[in-house]
Amino acid sequence: MAAIRTEGLTKRYGSRRRFPLPWREQPKGEDGPVVGIEDVSLTVEKGEIFGYLGPNGAGKTTTIRTLLGVISPSAGDAEVLGADVTDPAALRGAKARIGFLPSVMGFPEDVTGRRYLDHQARILGDERREELLELFDPPLDREIGEYSTGNRRMLGIVRAFMHDPDLVILDEPTAGLDPLKQSHFNAFVREEAASGTTVFFSSHVLGEVRQVCDRVGILRGGRLATVEPVDELLDRGGKRVRVRTRGDPGAVGVGLEGVVERTVHDREVQFTYGGEYQRLLDHLAGIEAIEDLEIAEPPLEDVFLHFYGEETETEHATTLPDTEVDA
Amino acid sequence: MPEIARFEARRRLKGSLYLAIGIAAFALLFTSFFPSVEQIDVDEYTESMPALFQELFNISAMGTIEGFLAVEIYQFVWVLLLPLYVAYLGAGVVAGDADADRLDVLLTLPISRSRLLAEKAASLAPVVLVPNLVVPPVVYAGVLALGESIDPIALLAVHALAVPFLLACGTVGVAVSVLVLDGDLARRGAIAVVFALYLLDSLSVVADRDWIGAVSPMRYYDPTEIMVDGEYNLVGVGALCLIAAVALAVAVVRFQRVDAP
Repeated sequence: MAAIRTEGLTKRYGSRRRFPLPWREQPKGEDGPVVGIEDVSLTVEKGEIFGYLGPNGAGKTTTIRTLLGVISPSAGDAEVLGADVTDPAALRGAKARIGFLPSVMGFPEDVTGRRYLDHQARILGDERREELLELFDPPLDREIGEYSTGNRRMLGIVRAFMHDPDLVILDEPTAGLDPLKQSHFNAFVREEAASGTTVFFSSHVLGEVRQVCDRVGILRGGRLATVEPVDELLDRGGKRVRVRTRGDPGAVGVGLEGVVERTVHDREVQFTYGGEYQRLLDHLAGIEAIEDLEIAEPPLEDVFLHFYGEETETEHATTLPDTEVDA
Repeated sequence: MPEIARFEARRRLKGSLYLAIGIAAFALLFTSFFPSVEQIDVDEYTESMPALFQELFNISAMGTIEGFLAVEIYQFVWVLLLPLYVAYLGAGVVAGDADADRLDVLLTLPISRSRLLAEKAASLAPVVLVPNLVVPPVVYAGVLALGESIDPIALLAVHALAVPFLLACGTVGVAVSVLVLDGDLARRGAIAVVFALYLLDSLSVVADRDWIGAVSPMRYYDPTEIMVDGEYNLVGVGALCLIAAVALAVAVVRFQRVDAP
């Protein structure tokens, strides 16, 4: 059984009434003007780390909130741990086995971290709390109102995992964590998946997803552009290369296969490179007087622009509605 | 034990205690004014007021300590201020959580929405109970210290009957909270609604149309009647429970299928 399965999942936001009346049905938004997500079909297998990648506003959080029954879908079906998300009673049973970390998580500010975890533990359970607190160590005896962003995040991570859930849904989990904690977290997530936990991991950072995930679904403008193994995506994603020379930079990137979007500005050249590292390095070795060099992950937007393109991207969305690509 | 109600109620305990101490101090201060009021010819004072005022505020009873406390403390704090405050807090239960990005986490707990809402509403208990536990002994001691006496049963009754009354006002706040799902708007709205209900009850007196105030909780809780006349309106308690039940039912029905903001 798949941990998560959606079929044509759609959420549109209708024109919400400012003062909704209880006896009038809230417009479900079948024809609503604002699209949250449109026709998203994906399957996440048990024990898999599924990256849900997309720029801000693409619909990642909308998908997650629909999967958890926080909002109801306008169309389509979704199942989480076998429970239909529109069946509250069934979903309630599944929720006991789900860990959730929202992208922005509010806490009761006037209680200590310890009291908050005690409280959540009485509802969810906490058999793994101590073990988690060794990896993520927010100051438990201080009031949460005094916490830094990173400490709040760690408290949220402990809460999400402490009842040893079968499925963990993480919405931008590493935002606000320092780099060391981020790599702890990534290693931890990999271990969890190795021991059978399914992880649904949303992010807008390609580099983060590549370190952690097995497969990646890319969401853009509410539509699932593609689902593929993370390696294939990275091969296609290319690198962002920036070279500054002391003299004329004219030769940089010229004649090198795999270079696109090359721009020259003063003594600086920027391009996206989709070929092999060795060939790039050989090419750069032939350039004289390089002053500065940077090779980085491309921004997510560029991945779309260069390798799906505006037009082909919509085409992908229509031709690949059932991208249940098995890794 | 319902964990969410327990946790949230405990968070309200300290504030409720401070509130109760403040009200107790206020009550003591007013009680200490009684000897000077006693010297006024209340009948003459009453006659000088418009008939409507006499009826609305029951001024004629002010010559006795029971009447004085009822008019100066209970009609003001218990019939107007506390209900407004309890409704304000009630309006914050779900809408306030949504504003503070806490609602998504609450909704993903393995608890049904109706139970979540009921527990949230139940967490208003300290604000309803603590003032009614702390203030009566203080008032009683204050009255004795003045050398006056008061029927302790009447004093207990005025506080006991305040519980369903405040509960009704709190659930009206909860209903507003769920209908609006915006913390600030809900809090302001709940204060407006409860104040309007208060006015509605007054209006039915002014307009001499009994039915106008029938939905108002204030109709069913009259401290002066309880303390001065010793009338305990148990039908009123039923009406208050009904108001609370209807408000909570509206909130639950709405909350069960609404998209969290």
